[in-house]
Amino acid sequence: MEKILKILSDVRPDIDFESETLLVEGGLLDSFDIVSIISELNDAYEINIRVHDLKPENFNSLSAIQALVERKLSEK
Amino acid sequence: MAYFKFDHIKIRGISCVIPKNIIRTEGFKDRFGSEEVDKFMEMTGITQTRWTSEKQTASDLATAAAQNLIKQKGLDPKEIKALVFGTHSPDYRRPASAFVIQKQLGLSTETVVFDISLGCSSAVYGMQVVASMMVNSDIDKAILVLGDTTSKTTNLNDRASIMLIGEAAVAVYLEKTSEKVSPIRSLLRSDGEGYRYLIVPAGGYRNLNASVQEEVCQDGNPRTLHNSFMQGTSVFTFTISDVPKAMKDYLAITETTIDNYDVFAFHQANLLIIKQIAKKLKIPMEKIPLTLPIYGNTSGASPLVSLCEFYGNQEAKKLKVMMIGFGVGISWGVTSFEIDTEDIFPIEESDYCFAEGFIGSVSEL
Repeated sequence: MEKILKILSDVRPDIDFESETLLVEGGLLDSFDIVSIISELNDAYEINIRVHDLKPENFNSLSAIQALVERKLSEK
Repeated sequence: MAYFKFDHIKIRGISCVIPKNIIRTEGFKDRFGSEEVDKFMEMTGITQTRWTSEKQTASDLATAAAQNLIKQKGLDPKEIKALVFGTHSPDYRRPASAFVIQKQLGLSTETVVFDISLGCSSAVYGMQVVASMMVNSDIDKAILVLGDTTSKTTNLNDRASIMLIGEAAVAVYLEKTSEKVSPIRSLLRSDGEGYRYLIVPAGGYRNLNASVQEEVCQDGNPRTLHNSFMQGTSVFTFTISDVPKAMKDYLAITETTIDNYDVFAFHQANLLIIKQIAKKLKIPMEKIPLTLPIYGNTSGASPLVSLCEFYGNQEAKKLKVMMIGFGVGISWGVTSFEIDTEDIFPIEESDYCFAEGFIGSVSEL
């Protein structure tokens, strides 16, 4: 969780990722942020986030992003 | 798998033309704010681009590029037996713009002429189409032209796309030869599931009464149905997963490695995408010519625009090029070829416009 939190905070230091639960649907993250986060997660965990993973519910909160990473790791 | 290999076809010339009109990215600060524009420039690397004037079209740029190529190579236009134009910015719904170019170049009626409706992958697809025609015919000299004018369909307030866009055209001269030359090889792929990722919904025959009313889209940007729409995150995600996979497959099929190529001519989508792919394939960035900062995303022409920018004035030497295109369709592919740098010509500016082609009233028909 801490590793993901650091990645997210590096992309958007101004957001409190530990408490926000509507990062996408609340308009806190824009498309530039999402692609940066995807790049960093792909690199850090050697996973491959695909187009069908691009649902708001996968990026709305820290726990949702962690669940996505865990799912992608299990698919490896 | 759609893999192709063409022996005895050589690329003997590449010429590029850009419009004279410079669009500075900083100029969008009044429209979108400094913070957003600075973030965009950092992410994409684009500081300025070139746009055509209102009546200058992709076929005008392509005509100028082909005329320059014919002049540089000392060709007789009547010798050219195939002209293929890769574009998603045609002059008319019909006829294909390639015929308009044919007329201006003075090519003979023995020439095969048509358009390919593709954008950012048109260089890799176009090369395969022209080379395929040549190996199965008596055509020994052909020109592939590529160009788009995407700014014309992009809403000026579309912060997701407008600053990315650059405009240019290239002309490539392919010749059949009896010499032993390195083959042209291509690997092409496509996925119609992504037909909406990059789309202009109006202007075709699906919705003949498409509204010109501007509305705010889901991504917060204003557009009409006649404007370009890009699902940026989907395009990015597809690109950084499927394109490297195709490149790895290509290296495996051709039994080559990254070290076998001198240059990786990428479609100039944006800096982040190119860096991501380079990292995955372990391609040194010094092998990737970048024209994004000064010309932006020039659609299908962009990999060859980069070759002209970086090698257009260099001393003669042979280059082994891997060219990578990806975009609308969605479609993507890899092509490799060998070229002498003396056949790569410096970029020229042009404000040429085929005035006769503008039909402003039915009384002119």
